[in-house]
Amino acid sequence: MPDLVTQAKWDKIAPKFDAMAGAGAEERWEPFKRKLFANMDGRVLFLALGTGLDIPVFPAGKTITAIDISPKMIEQAQERIAAYDGTIDAQVMDVHEMPFAEGSFDQVFTSCTFCSVQQPVEGLKALHRVLRPGGQLFMFEHTGSRFYPFRPMMDLMSMLTERMGPAMNRMTTDNVRAAGFQIVEVNNVYLDVVKTISAVKPDHE
Amino acid sequence: MDHRLYFALGDFLANLVVGVLVALAVWWIVTPGWNMFVAMFAMMVLGMILGMIAFMPISIKLGAMETMVPLMFTGMVSGMMMGMGEAMMTHSLAEAVGVGAVAGAGNIAFMWIANSLLRGVTRDGKSSADA
Repeated sequence: MPDLVTQAKWDKIAPKFDAMAGAGAEERWEPFKRKLFANMDGRVLFLALGTGLDIPVFPAGKTITAIDISPKMIEQAQERIAAYDGTIDAQVMDVHEMPFAEGSFDQVFTSCTFCSVQQPVEGLKALHRVLRPGGQLFMFEHTGSRFYPFRPMMDLMSMLTERMGPAMNRMTTDNVRAAGFQIVEVNNVYLDVVKTISAVKPDHE
Repeated sequence: MDHRLYFALGDFLANLVVGVLVALAVWWIVTPGWNMFVAMFAMMVLGMILGMIAFMPISIKLGAMETMVPLMFTGMVSGMMMGMGEAMMTHSLAEAVGVGAVAGAGNIAFMWIANSLLRGVTRDGKSSADA
């Protein structure tokens, strides 16, 4: 049973999500996302598809399993899924309860996802489980900052934004490490707040 | 700093405008006779909140975190500077506009420098800039 509170929250936002996300953010982040998603290869899981805003920057010709907790979000994404030059199998699913067998995927991608997952370390452990040993995790995320004055600003902002959806102060790189991944590279896109994270599930644990 | 002209110019103007608007709001609220420290702290918080409010419409065109963080910071500094100044003595409208503009322009310059220091690749996630 998915987290119904979270599901209802995202279902409610779905029809106006694109307007809320804003074209500015998508345009600003497009080159970084395109570069990250260019790594897609093999059996790919994309976490939190949302309304499919990222689909236009997916490389063509891939077969991607995409999940999202909100059926309304996936409904909104249908047009972009249909327009994709490849295959996207979109399913309603909570990351904490994925039925995929252990080691089902070669790669997992996320995009502004772990600001919103209820239990981030548990969610990342679930991704760790479905990745094969040596499998890769690629993330485009906004996180909290380690530096003053940005850190208290992000904490203050989170007090407001968490009511609607995302938190602004998650220490996602630390969470990735806590979930058992080995960090390969962190690329700070803006300050230490917007970043791409590449990590790997170690071959032998 | 984002090297695309649209974003570089947009960031600069947005911070300039928010700096001026916050300074004007503080100029209107605070009068000489306020305790300087109370004025400084209260207006710093007010400026941050006004920066957050301004972020919402501006973010549609200029992006999320790249807009939110500088605008809150500009609001905070503009509120603090104008609050402190106005508690000490009366300023003209033009002076208030000047203080806000300096706060906005100065802060976006600070953000560009901070960003150039923090952005980029860190291997193994072991850098201090790695959150």
